[in-house]
Amino acid sequence: MKTMQPRPLSTLSLVVLHEARILVRDRTLLLVCCVLALMVGYGLFVGLAQATLRERMVAQVLKHERETQTANSGTLQSVLAGQTALIPFANPANPAAMAGTLSGRYATMPNAPLAALAIGQSDMMPNYYRITYLSKVQFMYDTEIENPWNLLSGHFDLAFVIVFVLPLLVTTLGYNLLSAEREHGTLRMLCSQPLSVATLMIGKVVVRVLALLAIVIPVPLVVLLLIRPEARSAEQLVLMLSWSALVAAYGLFWFAVAALVNTFGRSSSTNALIMVALWTIFVLILPVTMNLAVGLVSPAPSRTELASRTRVATAESLREYEDLYSADYRYASDPEALLVKDERIEVPSRMRGFFLAKQKVDEQIEPLLKRFDQQLLQQQKLVDRLSLLSPAMLINEALTSIAGTDSRRFLAFKDQTEAFHKRWRQYFSPRILESRAMTVRDLSSLPRWHWVEMPASEIRWSIWWRAMLMLALASVLGGLALARSSRGSIE
Amino acid sequence: MFAIIAAKDLRELTRDGRLLWAGGLVVMLMLVALAAGWNRQVQLNSERSAGQALDYNAWLHQGYRHPHDAAEQGMHVFKPEPSLAVFDPGIGPFVGSTVWLQAHRQSEVKFRPAQDATGLQRFGELSPAWLLQVLLPLLIIVIGFNSASDERERGTLRQLLSLGAPARSLLFGKAAALASCVGILIAPVGLAFAVLIVARLPAGERVDVVYRITWLAAGYGLYLGFFVFLTLAVSALARSSRAALVLLLGFWVAATLIAPRTASEATNLLYPTPSRLDFDAQLTHDIADAGRKAWSAHFGARTQWDPSVPLSKWGAALKVDDEAGYGALDENFGRLWDTFERQQRAQGWVGVVAPVVALRGFSMGLAGTDFSQHRDFSTAAEAQRRKIQNIVSEDLIEHADRLGNAHFTRLAPSCGQACRNSSTNFRLCRLPWRIIGRALCCLP
Repeated sequence: MKTMQPRPLSTLSLVVLHEARILVRDRTLLLVCCVLALMVGYGLFVGLAQATLRERMVAQVLKHERETQTANSGTLQSVLAGQTALIPFANPANPAAMAGTLSGRYATMPNAPLAALAIGQSDMMPNYYRITYLSKVQFMYDTEIENPWNLLSGHFDLAFVIVFVLPLLVTTLGYNLLSAEREHGTLRMLCSQPLSVATLMIGKVVVRVLALLAIVIPVPLVVLLLIRPEARSAEQLVLMLSWSALVAAYGLFWFAVAALVNTFGRSSSTNALIMVALWTIFVLILPVTMNLAVGLVSPAPSRTELASRTRVATAESLREYEDLYSADYRYASDPEALLVKDERIEVPSRMRGFFLAKQKVDEQIEPLLKRFDQQLLQQQKLVDRLSLLSPAMLINEALTSIAGTDSRRFLAFKDQTEAFHKRWRQYFSPRILESRAMTVRDLSSLPRWHWVEMPASEIRWSIWWRAMLMLALASVLGGLALARSSRGSIE
Repeated sequence: MFAIIAAKDLRELTRDGRLLWAGGLVVMLMLVALAAGWNRQVQLNSERSAGQALDYNAWLHQGYRHPHDAAEQGMHVFKPEPSLAVFDPGIGPFVGSTVWLQAHRQSEVKFRPAQDATGLQRFGELSPAWLLQVLLPLLIIVIGFNSASDERERGTLRQLLSLGAPARSLLFGKAAALASCVGILIAPVGLAFAVLIVARLPAGERVDVVYRITWLAAGYGLYLGFFVFLTLAVSALARSSRAALVLLLGFWVAATLIAPRTASEATNLLYPTPSRLDFDAQLTHDIADAGRKAWSAHFGARTQWDPSVPLSKWGAALKVDDEAGYGALDENFGRLWDTFERQQRAQGWVGVVAPVVALRGFSMGLAGTDFSQHRDFSTAAEAQRRKIQNIVSEDLIEHADRLGNAHFTRLAPSCGQACRNSSTNFRLCRLPWRIIGRALCCLP
């Protein structure tokens, strides 16, 4: 038969055209495409809503920060001019108050420009922390408020549509690529034409792939480019390209599986069963089992231990600075004691005691806290390796890292926040210990927070190798399917 | 007739590879899930009870100190894991387990296990409940989709009916065969697990757990029964086996995969959850407001630092301040939790079309891992904190700081007059810790 193929390309285009006509008349394609378009639209809407929510939060926090600063410097000026009554714990001239209750400083992490593509961990991890001299255990474990039931259900975002639903739609379109022809008796007829089964299959797959990918890839990207100006930079365009490559490779992988399943010559029902079984294993069972395995192989340290250690450290530090807590405390009856004299101010010793105690707690807890973060990174590395087992895990990790909503970015944020927290304390430490009053100039030179984005090259590399791996997997399976198809039976 | 049909169908199913492979996989996963859950629970519970004992012990032996400093140190309480959490961890991974009861403000329950996990956690938690809710219906569909349509396609249905087999016997016989397949897979594991759990419990809790297990069995039986009959009905009514399979799988995907997510998104729009920032701002504002009102009502002062409130009145002042905040705390947390519960109730309606949503709530409720249980714990912990606060403030009222301006000062047990006075003071001071401790032991 192979000798009778003078122009394989034109045959292929004929098959493609013919198949497209059948699929359009059949209405299956239309239905599947409509369902996909609806889901992509809805997923994108959910992602955009969540991204906007986080953005608004960061904006609100920054506004609050500016307002507090203005209020603080206003109060400070009037305190220095003697126009405002002095309140011991709310006096901006007092460095301990500025470091703590009056501090309006926040560490914030902006959304990545493509955040709407996947919600990832962003509904659980905070994207801002309020920075004071308080101990890390007191402020680093605040989480975003979300109904735990909804966290359990998960969000209907674009990543969900791609990872879970896309393969099912591929199955709907592809489970009977050849088996339907065989069952209708038309495969025999087709094989009598100058046409190889491989060409036939390629033609069938091409139509379906193009139809699905023409919806799932351009729609979100065009929407994002239209409404998010920050997504138009060259770097983001490259990321979008890699996102497209990933999604295309994932779609191709599932089509290759469908093609391979079809070459076994089973009935359509059996093919559908095999496809669903594979989907269940790759998308449902393997990720959940691997989640369990990761927890077993690289378990997080005990939170109970952390709680107990925190309490011990708190008790010890309270005891160590007990004298400071109980020292002279006459400000209620004698507010004049709090006046700034020669750029010095009497820092109430209880406040100084608190500052020192919290610092002490952190010094003691630090190693344990580090272990939590290291363990999470360790787990993440394990997941990277295990994700080779399932394309669903592979693509899920990549999609969230493109959107900047993966655990790595949140860990980096936490890391930078911790460093900033340390700087904040270091700035105030000498002022509190030496009773140096805050000046108006000091207020404008407080340590400032700068988020340093993770190096793009690292993310880009990890995404591209995933896309390439998936593509390679798809082409191996596809090649296998083509090789088998030429030997398959037509009955 | 019914028994013969059931026996024949069952034999057919057991000879078919589908049941063997899919069923084997489900049983294996079930065993893994049970073993892992069991292991986790034993470890967590022993850790938490040890932690609780340590904390309580440290509290009792903190020695002489100013009551307010003791309140500042506070103590931890840990949420105990209900024994059926092995079966259904429910919202467990997404809520915290530890509360630090400290002065001044209600702490939230911290340390969600999902925070210490990777993004993989969001695919779901491998638990027996997840297997029964998600995978078993799929198994029923996979082994049963052609049980009626196949008879028709092969022409054996006509033969059967011509022999006088009643249609009802046919239906129930096939249903019995399908159900017993599922039963063979899960009953032995389930029974062994139930016996093991009940045997490990102290006698007093057994009745309660057996009662819960019975209801769980009934609920899951109903759920799986629904899928058995749905599969048979679609198989009997669909044009072909292929159509039946596509329809059933479509329903399964929509009901177990898509409906829960869509429902949670929809109810979020209906009853929006406040952001942490808004919630905190509102709470702070309300507490400050209530505080100001209480201060002016009780002391005629606008702030805590007004000279008209002498330090000797600080016990009473603390009490007034704390109690003023209670209302605001109750209101704000109550509103938030009501929102969560309203969201969940609204999702209950989705259960009418997607049974998994209804079953999930039912199962969590019985396993003691749903939100109302969590709310219960949070409320009890907060009540405990207030008890400690009140005792501390009472102590300060009765034994006001007497060293002039040296507020928050523990009287050093030195010699002289002060020593005798203070020693009575200390005994009174220390007594409450024991009472608090005892009360804590009764905490559920």
